[in-house]
Amino acid sequence: MATARRTSRSSASSSYESYFEHTALFEFSKVINSSLDPRFIYSHILLTIMGKILSSKGMVIVEKESRHFNVVMAKGFSQDVVGTSMHIRQIPPSIFLVDKVNATKYPWVKFFKRLGVKILLPMYMADTPIGLLAFGERFSKKKLHSREVTYLRSLANISATAIEKSRTFDELQQVNRKLDRKIQELNTLFDLSKEFGSLLDAEKLIRLLEFSLLGQVGVNRYIICLRQGSDVRVAASRVDGPVPQAELLQTLFKLKATVPVAHLSASGVQNARDVLTGLRMALVVPMGLQGENKGLMILGERLSGNPYEEIDYEFLTSLANLAIISLENARLFKEAIEKQRMEDELLIARDIQKGLLPNVLPAIPGFDIAAANISSKQVGGDYYDVIPADNNRHVIAIGDVSGKGTPAALLMASIQASIRALVPLNLSLSELTGRVNDLMCENTGGNKFVTFFWGFVDPVAMTLNYVNAGHNYPYLIHADGSIDRLDKGGMILGVLKTLMPYEEATVRLTHGDLLLLFTDGVSEAMSHDSMEYGEERIEAVLRKYGREPAQRIIELLHEDIIQHADGAQQSDDITMMVLKVA
Amino acid sequence: MNEFKIAQREASNVNVLELRGYLDAHTAPKLEEAFQTLLKTNRTNIVVNCKDLSYISSAGLGVFMAYIEDVRNKSGDIKLTNMSNKVYNVFDLLGFPLLYEIFKDESEAVKKFNDKK
Repeated sequence: MATARRTSRSSASSSYESYFEHTALFEFSKVINSSLDPRFIYSHILLTIMGKILSSKGMVIVEKESRHFNVVMAKGFSQDVVGTSMHIRQIPPSIFLVDKVNATKYPWVKFFKRLGVKILLPMYMADTPIGLLAFGERFSKKKLHSREVTYLRSLANISATAIEKSRTFDELQQVNRKLDRKIQELNTLFDLSKEFGSLLDAEKLIRLLEFSLLGQVGVNRYIICLRQGSDVRVAASRVDGPVPQAELLQTLFKLKATVPVAHLSASGVQNARDVLTGLRMALVVPMGLQGENKGLMILGERLSGNPYEEIDYEFLTSLANLAIISLENARLFKEAIEKQRMEDELLIARDIQKGLLPNVLPAIPGFDIAAANISSKQVGGDYYDVIPADNNRHVIAIGDVSGKGTPAALLMASIQASIRALVPLNLSLSELTGRVNDLMCENTGGNKFVTFFWGFVDPVAMTLNYVNAGHNYPYLIHADGSIDRLDKGGMILGVLKTLMPYEEATVRLTHGDLLLLFTDGVSEAMSHDSMEYGEERIEAVLRKYGREPAQRIIELLHEDIIQHADGAQQSDDITMMVLKVA
Repeated sequence: MNEFKIAQREASNVNVLELRGYLDAHTAPKLEEAFQTLLKTNRTNIVVNCKDLSYISSAGLGVFMAYIEDVRNKSGDIKLTNMSNKVYNVFDLLGFPLLYEIFKDESEAVKKFNDKK
């Protein structure tokens, strides 16, 4: 009681009011701090103050960014004012009446005047203004009492704290959400890098890239194109209308960075801009690899309606780079496989070819004989053979099948089989050649051919009976230095059925004669500057080294060809056979 | 490893796909296949129950995006249900609730399809 009396002695009625006001302030603070929802906070501030000063109109204005304020809630005023934005350079520090404000110093006050605002209550956090509370005329039309002013200032301060808290929370939430999105993007990139890394199938890679664009970016219209050499290929597309021509897409490959379609004109590709705008495309993302554009992702507008932002560019660039590396790997892998396959095939062809050529040439009495076949990288279809026939006679043969690789090697094998089967038939060389030709025509349908030279060497009669079916004319250099080119015969084998018999001819052989059979791999051996070895050089070697043994002559000829080629890769096999009369 | 599985059943003329496990870049083609099969046979009232879906990547979400148009063009829809918070968060982050109806429980989605008729 004593205490109460002392209090009542100091100031009885004001202490009761003060107690009431403190309680109300405490309640107010408790309520608006209980929520982080800005709408709830604004509403509670307005209702509390409108009730306190008895005004039917209230408005909350909050700073959005530096010195730009927005009307965020209005009660009693037209709802059209919500969202109004204004520039406020300076706010008086305390409560003020609109009618008494210096309009030159605070020009923005006109806006409030027009709406019928009478009282403006600034909200400060420390010295920083964060907003304004605006109210219409009081019902009582009474002036604000100094006690009321103090009370309203307290309410404004508490409001400022609550608004600032909810605003910080809101910002934090937005930052969190951005962070979540970044994590999600990173997860996506991580997920894809795992998957992309293990995929070597370009089609599957593209499909995965499509899914990621659809899912992560929320875009359902796109064109993905890839550069292949100088061409552009559309690898995937989902557009309303025809996909733009390759020539037009080609122009976009100049882009160095992600560009919105609307900005394309600056890059000098206006036509592309118009076409892409027509297809409602919004963004072009280059797919770069080692500073070179290997592909493009052209993306439509997002389904959410949100525009693409810088932050999206980062993700899209990473996605594009990741995808193009994997696509490039897949391409290289495919190429390597293809190359390996071709090399395997060449090995097979080489094996077939080597297997067909005689390991050791049968000896022909009174003759010195040697032969060589040097395969080129691509493996041609060269063939030579020496086959014992009747009465000490021997067949010598050389041929060159059109084409390369396994098909040529197989055709060569069939020719060898047919001549070996036909020789014992005791027919004339002309007839035999005709039959080999007919067999070939039947087997190949006329789309493969063989140049072929063959003959019977008779060591008793000392003759060579031969037919030349379109092959390089062999050299017969006689001991006296005269030269015969063995050119009698007829058509190359395998093109037309035999209508005219092949012409056969017989030459006499004497001691010291030298016969060279060769394929065009010899005469056409190329140097680096595309000069052919030529027949003059063959002749020169034969004249110079004609007295050497057959094997040595072949070696010398080969050395001379190597010297001419000087390391240039040969596209054709080099095959030759030398026969010397002892 | 949390394998991915799809179980399919019918409930009151609605095709329900129950997803289980990890739906990521690796397993996305399986879901694609399931959607393709439903589309081919014109079964376009589709509810995807995500009760046992433990993870979804953006490639997984991409599959939903890739087929929604085709399904809606055939007057059907894809509705999603029973998502865990973790899975819902991914859908939400990427803005899917704007484009898809997402229900707490499968029965609500099935009912929505049948009410339409």
